[in-house]
Formats: sequence, structure tokens, C-alpha cells
Amino acid sequence: MAPEMISAPVSRRRVLQLLGGALAAGTLAACGDSSGGGGGGGLKVIGAGSQEAGLRKALDEYKLQNGSFEFNLSFSPADQLQTSLRAQLAAGNAPDLHAVYPGNGSAMSMVQLSKAGLLADLSDQSWTQKIPSGFKGAYQQDGKTYIFSPGTSVLGAIYNKKAFAQAGVGVPTTWSELLAVCEALKKKGIVPLALGAQTPWVTQLIDYALVPGTVYAQQPDFDDKMAAGSATFAGSGWADAMEKYLELQRRGYFNDNPNGTTYEQATSMVGTGKAAMAVQVSAVLQAYREAAPSPDDLGMFPFPATDNVADNWIPGGIVVGIAISAKSKKADEARKFVEFCATPATMNAWAEAVACVPLYAEGEAKVDPVLKPFLPNLAGNKAVPFMDQRWPNAEVQPTHFAVVQELLGGRTTVDAALKKMDEAYRKTA
Amino acid sequence: MTAVAAPPAPPEAPPVRRVRRGGGLAPPWWFAVPALAVYALVMLYPSIAGAASAFTDWSGVGEQRSFVGLDNFQQLLQDDQALGALRSTLLLTVAIVVVQNGLGLLLALGVHTTIKSRMLLRVIFFAPVVVSPVMVSFLWKYVYNPAPDAGLNAVLGALGLGSLRQDWLGDPSLAIWSVAFTVIWQCAGYSMVIFLAGLEGVPKELHESAMVDGAGTVARFRHITWPLLAPAVTINVMLSTVGGLTLFTQIIAMTNGGPGYATDTLSTVLYKQAFVFGKFGYSTAVALVLALFVAAVSFVQIAYLRSRETTA
Repeated sequence: MAPEMISAPVSRRRVLQLLGGALAAGTLAACGDSSGGGGGGGLKVIGAGSQEAGLRKALDEYKLQNGSFEFNLSFSPADQLQTSLRAQLAAGNAPDLHAVYPGNGSAMSMVQLSKAGLLADLSDQSWTQKIPSGFKGAYQQDGKTYIFSPGTSVLGAIYNKKAFAQAGVGVPTTWSELLAVCEALKKKGIVPLALGAQTPWVTQLIDYALVPGTVYAQQPDFDDKMAAGSATFAGSGWADAMEKYLELQRRGYFNDNPNGTTYEQATSMVGTGKAAMAVQVSAVLQAYREAAPSPDDLGMFPFPATDNVADNWIPGGIVVGIAISAKSKKADEARKFVEFCATPATMNAWAEAVACVPLYAEGEAKVDPVLKPFLPNLAGNKAVPFMDQRWPNAEVQPTHFAVVQELLGGRTTVDAALKKMDEAYRKTA
Repeated sequence: MTAVAAPPAPPEAPPVRRVRRGGGLAPPWWFAVPALAVYALVMLYPSIAGAASAFTDWSGVGEQRSFVGLDNFQQLLQDDQALGALRSTLLLTVAIVVVQNGLGLLLALGVHTTIKSRMLLRVIFFAPVVVSPVMVSFLWKYVYNPAPDAGLNAVLGALGLGSLRQDWLGDPSLAIWSVAFTVIWQCAGYSMVIFLAGLEGVPKELHESAMVDGAGTVARFRHITWPLLAPAVTINVMLSTVGGLTLFTQIIAMTNGGPGYATDTLSTVLYKQAFVFGKFGYSTAVALVLALFVAAVSFVQIAYLRSRETTA
């Protein structure tokens, strides 16, 4: 039977019938898809890798409460957010809900994307009224809120308690104490500070840890002065911070060849106790815990920048958030989800999952215990947002990465490095 | 006498069909239309539309863009980073063209023998070519681990050459050569295959008669093999030049252009301008200049190498 069917001549009419059938089948399939998937495959979400635990928790919980809610979630590591997500934004097929960096200073930051008209305005949501005034620059552009972020991540030294015990040292609170601790660790054959400066974003962290003390404690309005053109990196405490960065290298407190060492290698060094500390953001604590035999081996403390304890401010930056694409066809659904994320219970759960301090809380917020040493600084207004969040364009931060690598490689001077950053700062956005 | 019947009038001559030089009928030009249409849609149109961005200040996302004339090109002339990258690109290209092809030729001569394991050796030398460049880069990042007890440094230590241990990818003056070595390691097999094809085409009789005349191995290579390999040289030099000038994947995966700007090439600069700095217009200008540069270099090269082939 089959051969006859194949050899039978196919008339034009039959072809059209077949085509019609195929079209009908396609239409039916599409209908089935939209009815079964709660709106054509669900809400498309691309999150930042560092926020995976929190965002996933919020989405799962929202789905539990709203049975018809469907989502399609994927993640992008920090380095790829700028390429993969920007390419999608440029092509006009942005996900409904996607990761965005708070403030300004990166090509995927809230200010840059909202200026390009790519983000939906969230200002009509009630939670936006609760954003503390000091953090408004991270969430708002021209008075409108474009991003939701669960709270503040802090930056300090993640340390291996066993390594500290082995060298008989405690947590330092001043720069001199820090140097003494490093010396003791070095004498014990433990690398005092693991630095994976081959991974570009890691290069900035020691400067970020030191600059609140060397710059902002003296000049809290430094960012405004920079914006007004009355201050420069080269003529500020940034030079002091970079000199200290290099002093740590000169004294041999980093692992050998930091420029050839990656973030992952540095993480493993601290986890295993081969190195005692690494200057890092609290958002990566989970990765360090996974590298350690027992998660309790690790603690965290503010990295002291000066010998005056009162001047040792900390960097506390709003973590990567989520925003709704201005072109999303499911904006209403996305808005409802964001509103759910901003409820104190969800936000607290999210913040706890990624070791950050929630933006606001009802009563006492549950935070990861290792963050406790940072809370007095946050409460006492001695915290500064991560420096790049107020830089005017996306070029200063990568310039900072490159000049730090050049400094560590002995290819430039602190003065020349900071002049290069000043040049990048003055370029138009 | 019987009049010879006039031969029948020849049938009307068929319309003249264009005949290809090699014989046979040329297919009508419109046979190419579907392919040309697809090519125009997926290659020409995006390229031209993209090139137009080089004259704007577009950030790469959103609708805002305005015409800025030749500003982006003027900026390129004063851009230290791009000029530094141009220098690195040329260095890398020269290293890759010379070493990769030299090595490829040696490998080809080595496996163009009658020894039994020649097929296995060919496969081994060609194997890296088929592995994804990203995979190769990550593999070599392990090899280049700067720790004294890891990767290449560990091997050097075990061989008693501990003093040669290096920070392969972290030392600004060494990193570019480490990347170049990886690229050469991966692509030498490719050059080898092309040279091998060239070697297969060298008539045995020429070698035999030269041997009868008392020519040694070197003389036979110089006067027979090398001139006849000219087409293979042309292809290899062309391909490796274009590959070197547009090198991107291995750099991004291994060093991301660092430390500092030490391994930035024109391709990584244009990528960073577009995706990291948010300057798509400027990035397209760099891309356009790079494309013209590659085209010019290739044109000059092919003109020279082809003339060498005809005189060989």
C-alpha cells in the first residue's frame, strides 16, 4: 500500500489541502500552547548569577501562591550580562523581566537603560515610597523608579577562621593591625590575601574596600564634587587607597602572580585555608562556603583602610536588581511579581538567600550572621554605595579594572592610573 | 546527371548559449537568484545597515541615535587603546603566520612519509583543530596556571627547570605570546593538512629524476617541493593572516584583553566598545576600519603570492 501512495501523482489541489492541514495544525498547536502555558510559555526571566538563590526562591513562592503563573528562568554570569542581555535588548527581543545593575556606571545599569527607554517605570508601586533617601540614586532616575533590588551587599574581607587560629591572630580593626595580621600569617606560610586579579571585576574590590575610608570619610560629597568637576581621582584619597593596594603586594601579602590567578582559584585558596583572606562582596559568600570543608570556617569583617577606627567606613552597595522591559507584553504579570518581591517577607527571604541586608524590614531583619560586624556601619551612616554606581558612564569601571592590572604588573604608576580614570570619567555618557 | 539534391537547409540555428571556457553550458544567471537573495538578506543587508551605525553615536540599545559624520573615525585615530591594540594585533599576526605555517610545513613533511603510523600521526596533529577554540582556551588556562605546582610550571619544576617558571597569562609582556602559542598549537594542524595536500600533488617522477642527478634532500626540497607548494603557501598565509588579524575568541577566553591592555586586539577593542562601554557607533567604526584593513592586507598578499606562483 505504501509504495502506491508514494508513487501516486500529487495534484496541486492535494498539495493545497495538505498545506491547509499543516497550517490548521500549527494554529491549533499555538492555541494549545497559549492556553496551557498561561500566556505563551510564561514570563521570560533572565537573572544575574549572583542573585540566583534569591530570585528563584521568590519565583517559586509566587508560583505556589498563584497556580496559573508560569515562568521561564535562566541566568547569566556577571561578565555575560553585558553581552548576551544587551544583544537581546538591542535586537528588541528582551526578556519580560531581567537583571539590571543599580545606579549608573555600567552598560547594563539602570540609568543607562532607562535613558534608552528600555525599562518600565515602577513608580506607581507602593514599596517605592520606602526606598531610603540615601539609596534613591541606585533605584531612581529623574525621580522615577526603574529597578527592584532586595537590598545591600557589603564588601569586606572573607576570612578562614582556622587559618587565623593557626597563626594566632584575630580580626584587625585598623590598617596597621591588618598589616601585622598579614605578617603573622605570612610567617606561618599562609598566603595572607588571595587575589584573583585575572578576573576583571575582582581587581576593583580592594580599592572599593579602602576608598570609603581614604576618600568618603573625609569627603562624603566626593561624588558630587566629581560630577561638578571640582575633584579628580588623581587628587583625592584614591591615590592613598591605590598606594595601600600596592603596599600589600610589595610586602608579599598576595598569592604569587595575582594577574594570572582567577576568581575561582582565589576562592578555593581561602576555602581550603591555603590563603587566609580575600576581599570580596558578601554576595559570593556561598561560593566560598562551597569551597570550604565546613561553611562555618568562614567569617567576614570590614576591611580597615586607616588607623582611625572611626574613619573606617564600609562599601555597601545595592545588589543587582530586576527590571521590567518597557516592551514586555506581559508587563502586568511582571509588575505583580515585582510587587510580591517587595513585600517584607519575600524580600527578607531573598536577602537572606544571597547574604545581603534587606532594603527595609518589618521588625528586625534576618541576616546572615557573618554580616553582623557590618551592621553598625550601615546603621551609623558609615556606608558608601559601590563607587561605580555613581560614575557617569560605562567606561570608568573597565578602565579601573585595566589600570589595576597594569599596577599589579608594574606597568604604570598610581598617578598615571588615576589620570586615565579621570580621562574616562570626563568622557560623555 | 542527376542533380544532386540540394542539401536540406540547415535547421534554424539554435539561440547562442553562453559556453563556459572549460566547455559545457553555463547555467542561466537567474539560477543564482535564490542564493543571492538569501545572501543579501542575511549578509549584505545587516552588514550595510551595521556599517551605517559607524556614522552615529548609537549606544547599541534604544532608539536614540544621531548622525555624527566622521567623528568616530577621528576619535579612532587618537585612541591610545585602539592603537595599542593595532600593534598587538600585528605582532600576533606575524607570529601566527610565520610560526604556525612553519610548524605546519614541518609537520606535513614529517607525516608525508611511508611509515606505518603516518595516518595516526596525522589524526593526532589535526585533532586540536576540531576542538572548539573556547574549550582549547580553557584547557590552556589550566596549563598556564601561575602556581609553581600546577600546569606547565609543575612540569618545568619536575624537569629541574624551575627557574623558567612564569606567570604565563598574568605577566603583561608574556601574556600575548602565551595566547599566540595556544593559537599556533591549535591551528598548526590545519596548516599541515593544506601543505599535505600540496605535497601529495608533487610528482614523484621529479624527485626520482633529481635523485638520479644526485640532488640531496635539501636541494630537492628547495628546487622541487617548495616551488610546487606555492599554491598551498598562498592559501595558508592568507587564512592565517585573516585569522590573526581578527583573533578574538582565544583572547577573550584566556585574558579578556588583560593584564591591563596588554593582549587587547582590534577585535576585543571593538567588542568592548560595543558591549562593555555601550558605544556601538564607535565600535562599528573600528569594525569597519578593521574590515577594510584585512581586505587591503589580503589583497596585497594574494597579489604578491599569486605572482610568485606563476613564476615558480
